[in-house]
Amino acid sequence: MLRNYLLTAWKVFMRRKLFTAINLACIVLTLVVLMVISALLETAFYPSGVEGKSERFLQVYGIRSESADRSSMRTTLMGYKAIDQYLKPMKGVERVSAITVPSEVSAYQGDRVSQLQLRRVDADYWKILDFELLAGRLPNEDDERNGRLVAVINASTARQLFSTAPRHPAAAVGRTVSVGGQAFQVIGVVADALHVNAFADMWAPLSTFPSTNYQNEITGSFAALILAHDRADLPRIQREVERIATTFVTEDPRTYSKTVFFADSKLDVFARALLDNQSNADSGAGTLLTMIGTGMLVFMLLPALNLVNLNTGRILERSSEIGVRKAFGATNLQLATQLVVENVLLCLAGGLAGLACTRLVLWWLEASQLIPYLEVHINPAVFGFGMLLAFVFGLLSGLIPAWKMSRLDPVHALKGTA
Amino acid sequence: MLRHLLKLTWKRKSRNLMLSLEILLAFAIVFGIAAFALRSWQLYREPMGFDGKDGWSVTIVTGDSKADSIPADIYDTLRRGLLALPQVREVGFAAYPVYTNSNWHTTFKSPQTGAAVQTLFLEASDGVAAALGMPIARGRWFTAEDEGAAVQPVVFDRRMAAAMFPGQDALGRQFTQTEDGLTRTLKVVGIVDTFRNKHPLMVPGNFVMTRFAPHAGPSRVRTIVLKLAPGTPRAFEATLNRQLRLIRNDWSYTIAPLAAMRASQMKEQLIPLSVLSVIAAFMLTMVAFGLFGVLWQNTTRRIPEIGLRRAIGARAGDIYRQIIAEQLLLSSAAIALALVLLVQLPLTGALGSFLGWRLFIEAAGVSTAVIYLLSLLCSLYPGWRASRLTPAQALHHE
Repeated sequence: MLRNYLLTAWKVFMRRKLFTAINLACIVLTLVVLMVISALLETAFYPSGVEGKSERFLQVYGIRSESADRSSMRTTLMGYKAIDQYLKPMKGVERVSAITVPSEVSAYQGDRVSQLQLRRVDADYWKILDFELLAGRLPNEDDERNGRLVAVINASTARQLFSTAPRHPAAAVGRTVSVGGQAFQVIGVVADALHVNAFADMWAPLSTFPSTNYQNEITGSFAALILAHDRADLPRIQREVERIATTFVTEDPRTYSKTVFFADSKLDVFARALLDNQSNADSGAGTLLTMIGTGMLVFMLLPALNLVNLNTGRILERSSEIGVRKAFGATNLQLATQLVVENVLLCLAGGLAGLACTRLVLWWLEASQLIPYLEVHINPAVFGFGMLLAFVFGLLSGLIPAWKMSRLDPVHALKGTA
Repeated sequence: MLRHLLKLTWKRKSRNLMLSLEILLAFAIVFGIAAFALRSWQLYREPMGFDGKDGWSVTIVTGDSKADSIPADIYDTLRRGLLALPQVREVGFAAYPVYTNSNWHTTFKSPQTGAAVQTLFLEASDGVAAALGMPIARGRWFTAEDEGAAVQPVVFDRRMAAAMFPGQDALGRQFTQTEDGLTRTLKVVGIVDTFRNKHPLMVPGNFVMTRFAPHAGPSRVRTIVLKLAPGTPRAFEATLNRQLRLIRNDWSYTIAPLAAMRASQMKEQLIPLSVLSVIAAFMLTMVAFGLFGVLWQNTTRRIPEIGLRRAIGARAGDIYRQIIAEQLLLSSAAIALALVLLVQLPLTGALGSFLGWRLFIEAAGVSTAVIYLLSLLCSLYPGWRASRLTPAQALHHE
């Protein structure tokens, strides 16, 4: 039966090549937009590559303190002291790393000024994230302890600062660059990376701060990465961090008597920031995903309506075929199923073409540097989701025409006067 | 003729319903984007309240969260040290830089109506007006004579003046503010037209500037605003950084020209608009494809009817016009319905000051034009094709 459907579908598609092309173009356009968005989201929420261990580590971005009557509250990033005193002693985790968020600094080379994003990190950072080292070495505990002015830069920055050839970033190793009045020696070059914890142009050890003031700060510009031995430990660590927060004492306990902070997965970090859920244990990840899903369905509405219009036109053309089938006893359900199947097939074909176009669009996005250091892979999950989107889209746009078709009166249909 | 067309359209209402629904949706999308873009353009053309010409901004990164570790006399040292550079014309200190998303809120009680008035405020030193190029509409900016005075001087923008002293002249008026149990008296010494600190697309609101006086209070600010000699190159940043580090070398300094900060703020503000426009362009392309396809099918199905009309004397041009007119009629119906729905937005004031009547009419005009153009373009070819058939061909068409 299915084979018959397929054959009929093929015949119908080929009979009106222009309409099939228009149909396909609409489907492909819709699916490309949706698939580009889902590929970008997938890369942000479930990264691979440099933050490939994401499923095994949690991050603490932000600490919220409020007074007992909630009249004053503040949400900031953590200070080094908070991480050192409260998070580092935690038992049952592999590593805890303290990192700053990137800050914009100027690098001076003679008359040239370049703006760079500088991130100061401890030695554990390099063991939690899997940077691809292109040349030189990464900082270790020794550099940290001795306060050496060393830095790691990424490939683009090496090109920008030292005009190294794209294939030979090693030429940058050993050179010095003056940032904020400090002369850093470049000891390594890593590949460009975008993700939340990895993004920066230049990395330096914590001990290169001009003063040791940072060690006494409860709030500041730090975030913590907590690497677990096993992903099954994550819920336990999250509970533990929540408990630690209840023991937290701010520098001004009279004003800020209550403090909360949470260890979040990637998705939680985004959900918390976007939905402004700083004080609830629930980051709102579920809400965020629902919003994204609803947004996609709403986006599909107009293209689906468009396809409904095109399909309705097509079934009227096929009214004599439908009349014959009805006269020979095909039920309404059978006919409707046939049309929906045809439509879903067309959408899946469109989905495949869309996937190829999505790859092209993503290549263009990566090359255009609209989002710096973007690197998106289409993995099986994105592929599966794209096909699911195509299927939903096919159903959505096939149902109304199918219902209309099944309602045709066989007598009129046979005469072609419906 | 129009009645006849209306009848034809009505006869095919079930098919046309879906088509007009699609046009309605497309109209709503174009309307949304047009309103957003026109509103942005409207705001962009409004004055900022300062010109920022040859202005630079320096943020001091102290690496310490406590204000009392910054000595009060450092500001004089910084000012003198910076003015020693030949390129530096004016120096001012402010609580936060312009062309960033920082803002501070406070609430004043209107002495006239007793209502609480929420406002943005900026603590700024005597040099800020000159460094930022702020025109003072009436009154004056802060000067050294305000130092140690019993009443603290403030500068209002016009909106704030109207909100605090409705119907009266705010200039020279005094009022009090109680904060943390301390009451202070403030006096309006100057009025500026407007002040929009964040970016050229910022919605203007109430704005108050208070005088920064390090010797009189515990407040410490961390932003320096500079006006440099015209044509100072970007490389001056290194000299500036060296000079600042001569004064305090345990701090670090983030330096940027205001022009660069403005450009990056604009870029950031335009991202949502450009993403939406790209998606809308995709959608319109799709709608165009769809309309074209449907019209093509429709005219194909109506070839016998067209043949009949030709046989009894209609000219090719008549057919052509009929096809296009029918499509425009359908679009008009959809647009009218969409406008009835969208007019609720300014009527109920759901979007507040964002969507005023003028903006509504402009956006409606733009989107109506876009949809008519789209309908016209999509019906040109099918109409032409239908009109080219000879009556004999058309009547025999099967």
